[in-house]
Amino acid sequence: MQEKLITVEIDENGNSSIDLEGFHGQGCGDVAKDFRGGDSVIQSSKKREYYAQTAAVKHSQRQS
Amino acid sequence: MSQYEELTTTMTDQQYLVEALTEMGYRPEVQTAGIALRGYGGVNWNRPVQVTIPREQLRGALAPVGFGRDETGVFQAVIDDLDRKCSGLDESWLGRVAQAYKERQTMAVAKTKGYVFRGREIVQTPQGPKVQLRFAVR
Repeated sequence: MQEKLITVEIDENGNSSIDLEGFHGQGCGDVAKDFRGGDSVIQSSKKREYYAQTAAVKHSQRQS
Repeated sequence: MSQYEELTTTMTDQQYLVEALTEMGYRPEVQTAGIALRGYGGVNWNRPVQVTIPREQLRGALAPVGFGRDETGVFQAVIDDLDRKCSGLDESWLGRVAQAYKERQTMAVAKTKGYVFRGREIVQTPQGPKVQLRFAVR
């Protein structure tokens, strides 16, 4: 199983961004929330893994 | 004649602020109730500041630097305008404070939430150094 890795990048002004590897679906949101703290989100983008998992869940819901 | 100016930050936690300033080589002083800043030539800043860096610790500076909470609890930096222009206590300096603050905050959050620290890297960019912190899920 692929290890779940989080990279927090802090720029020269103290602005931070989070990159997640090995996460699928909504798990990303919980981690991002942990690290975001009280900060507001300026930009959020989702990787292919997020949509792959979401699509799989929808597919299985349709079958059941 | 110089005067104090207030520069906006987003920092709210006094502990991380003090740790950030300490990491930058200062020995900040904390007055929980807040004090007025007294600067060069008798210039005062009468709104209370809770964290100060004495002038002696700021190379070439005319006045101490203060950080005071505003009505929403956010720390605002109070810096003499001549020091901002001539002693390097400018927006870039404040950015480095914010960067060190954010690093402290991130490490503390990661520890509290049980993430495993995997390393720290400095990435040089044309804008300045970026800090990369890596964690894994336990």
